[in-house]
Amino acid sequence: MKILLMGHPNVGKSVLFNRLTGANVIESNYPGTTIDYTKGYMRVGGEEVEVIDVPGTFSLDPKDKAEEVAVKMLHESRDATVICVIDASKIERGLYLVLEIIEEGYPVAIALNMWDVAEDKNIKIDVVNLERILGVPVVSTTAISGEGIKELVSRSRGTAQVEVDDIFERVED
Amino acid sequence: MKRLSSIYFGILGVIALAFGIADLLVTIGGSGLSFGILEIPCDAFRGGWGGLIILSAGLFYLAGIKNISEIHQISKVMMGSILIWIIAGLDIFAMITESIPGGDRSWFNTLEGFLETYAPPYAPAIFLLPFSLVVFYYILKKERNILKKEKDEE
Amino acid sequence: MTKLGVDERWDLIDKISKKTVTFGEYKHTLKDAIGELTVKPLTGIPIAIAVLYGFWSFFSSFAGFFTDGFFVKLFDEHWLLWLQEIFPGKESWLYYIFVGDPSATNCFEAFGVLTSGFFVAIGVVLPAIVAFYLILTLLEDSGYLPRLAVLIDTILHRIGLHGYAIVPTILSLGCNVPAVAATRILETRKERFIMMTILAIFIPCGAQLGIMKEVIPDTMGFVIFYLFMGYLIFGFILNKIIPGKTPEMLIDVPPYQMPTAQNVGRKLWMRTSSFFKVALPFVLLGCVIVNVLYLTGFIAWMGDILSPLFIGWFGVPSETAGPLIAAFLRKDLAVAQLSAIEMTKYQMISAVVLVSIYFPCVATFAMMLREGWKELLGSIAVLAVVVTLYGGLLHLIWILLGVA
Ligand SMILES: Nc1nc2c(ncn2[C@@H]2O[C@H](COP(=O)(O)OP(=O)(O)OP(=O)(O)O)[C@@H](O)[C@H]2O)c(=O)[nH]1
Ligand SMILES: [Mg+2]
Repeated sequence: MKILLMGHPNVGKSVLFNRLTGANVIESNYPGTTIDYTKGYMRVGGEEVEVIDVPGTFSLDPKDKAEEVAVKMLHESRDATVICVIDASKIERGLYLVLEIIEEGYPVAIALNMWDVAEDKNIKIDVVNLERILGVPVVSTTAISGEGIKELVSRSRGTAQVEVDDIFERVED
Repeated sequence: MKRLSSIYFGILGVIALAFGIADLLVTIGGSGLSFGILEIPCDAFRGGWGGLIILSAGLFYLAGIKNISEIHQISKVMMGSILIWIIAGLDIFAMITESIPGGDRSWFNTLEGFLETYAPPYAPAIFLLPFSLVVFYYILKKERNILKKEKDEE
Repeated sequence: MTKLGVDERWDLIDKISKKTVTFGEYKHTLKDAIGELTVKPLTGIPIAIAVLYGFWSFFSSFAGFFTDGFFVKLFDEHWLLWLQEIFPGKESWLYYIFVGDPSATNCFEAFGVLTSGFFVAIGVVLPAIVAFYLILTLLEDSGYLPRLAVLIDTILHRIGLHGYAIVPTILSLGCNVPAVAATRILETRKERFIMMTILAIFIPCGAQLGIMKEVIPDTMGFVIFYLFMGYLIFGFILNKIIPGKTPEMLIDVPPYQMPTAQNVGRKLWMRTSSFFKVALPFVLLGCVIVNVLYLTGFIAWMGDILSPLFIGWFGVPSETAGPLIAAFLRKDLAVAQLSAIEMTKYQMISAVVLVSIYFPCVATFAMMLREGWKELLGSIAVLAVVVTLYGGLLHLIWILLGVA
């Protein structure tokens, strides 16, 4: 199995990556920290899983060289499960990239990271409903403290492709 | 409480402003100045840039005292204090790093030499330091008031 | 699979978020208010000055503590004397390469691999690098760095550089290599090229800063100022003459947060150790190569050939040829070597500036090559012009001031 971490810059992908694989990639509090990809491995239930950390990107049409790396990595990993990392306090922006990736037919799981920040800002997200509408696992996480990461890993194993048309239907219910 | 803090930080602001100006003047003048336990540095870095920063700290205080309980105003007062902590903190850090090595004679300083480094005169920022810490007291007290108010409302 | 258009996607997101997200009431906190102060120019500039003041003050105290307080003594009074005593054959070339000048009384003058090489790498550069990366990490993790970018954006805008360029610039004060890589976050090839070039030319790295603080403590401010002006001037000129766009950059400012000791410690360790893996071999190798070139008479020969250029145009002694060769390997080493050459204060300033701007070090060079050989060639062309003009300008200034 292969997991690709995708998301906007500075949402906590590298923190998550370090937590998952025990690697030491640089994490800092500004967008554009990661400028190349890093591969790492973790064991889940006896299986070796490859995890890839890539530079943050706003969308699938890259604006700079770092974003190019991310998009290229996505296209080269047709067999990967994508964990979309979203800043829960800016959820709408993050969903754009999620939809793009879903449309390309990747199995997706969503990490609503920075959950602590969203709580501080009094933003309430109905995770269950979001999961129902999108049809993919959605897990709230706080990467710096490790909260929700176990659940994220186990839930992302069972995810499958979804159709946007179905999302359109479900959002109307 | 509000009035009192405005007056307090107002006075602190004026003093910081004066120290900053003194720093700059002394630096332009070119020779250090010391009165008793106060020494105004005259090198371009500590006196010039440092003076400019102390002066800004004074201005931050003065800009923040009007309607001081409002959050944007407190932040200015807080920032004035932060600037003073930067200058004073690094002055103290410099003293610490100077006090430990022994110079030409030995690896480590003698106890006397060590203590001597910390003897006055001090730069203006060090005098402002304890007074600038009051901002914490003010913020804590204010937070407690807000909590109390919320409880009362419930 | 259905693919949506941009608007359709946003519509869908709108619907989803209406069903799942509620934004509660949010009051501005003190943190937010302070955050605002740090990006507005009027209040932000004094704060930025204070941060830079703190940066430099910490850097000098910390590095001074280790270097002047302990390492100078250790290396000059113990290590050097010991090596001079036990190393056999004072006349041999091996002695010259490893211990250096037998009559040297300090590790700057000796210039052997084991004396100056180790002193520069461990005694001077290590403390400087640790101090630098400690502060850089704090600035990064707290979230001040992107705010500095926003602030500087309002100023740099006028000369066509975009504020986000400050991130690679600050990184390159530690080491130019990761900074060149960091230019990948700039959008156009033009911007990347300009940034990469002026970084490699004008921004001294942490190792260089550390050694400059030892060798020219009094005039260092001027050197930095001169280099920084060069950075602005040539950034402006390149931006005007190179075709292409420099689009606006939206900078996303993350919230302030408390840096965690664990992350700071880990990053500090990673950066310092990787710096040393690259730096130490080059410092030592640099010493060997330069010493061999001295022994074979190559440097004297170069100095003779280049002396009209050096003396006439740049106004520095022709012995500067040696350090300039060393500078290709390691700039810190080159500055250390300059300190052993006899010259006036002003010649020294010129020489240090030349060492800084004349060529990027090998590691930076290799990194630039990875970014594209066309860019590298372009940068070298710019470099040749800059060195000639901007290096010569300094000589002109000294002549006009009557000190050359
Ligand atoms: N409060 C909070 N901060 C977080 C959380 N996750 C990450 N961070 C912080 O967010 C910042 C960015 O984290 P990174 O992992 O470097 O972000 P990234 O997504 O890799 O960013 P790029 O490499 O620029 O694309 C760091 O300062 C982290 O400490 C979280 O769950 N809560
Ligand atoms: Mg990252």
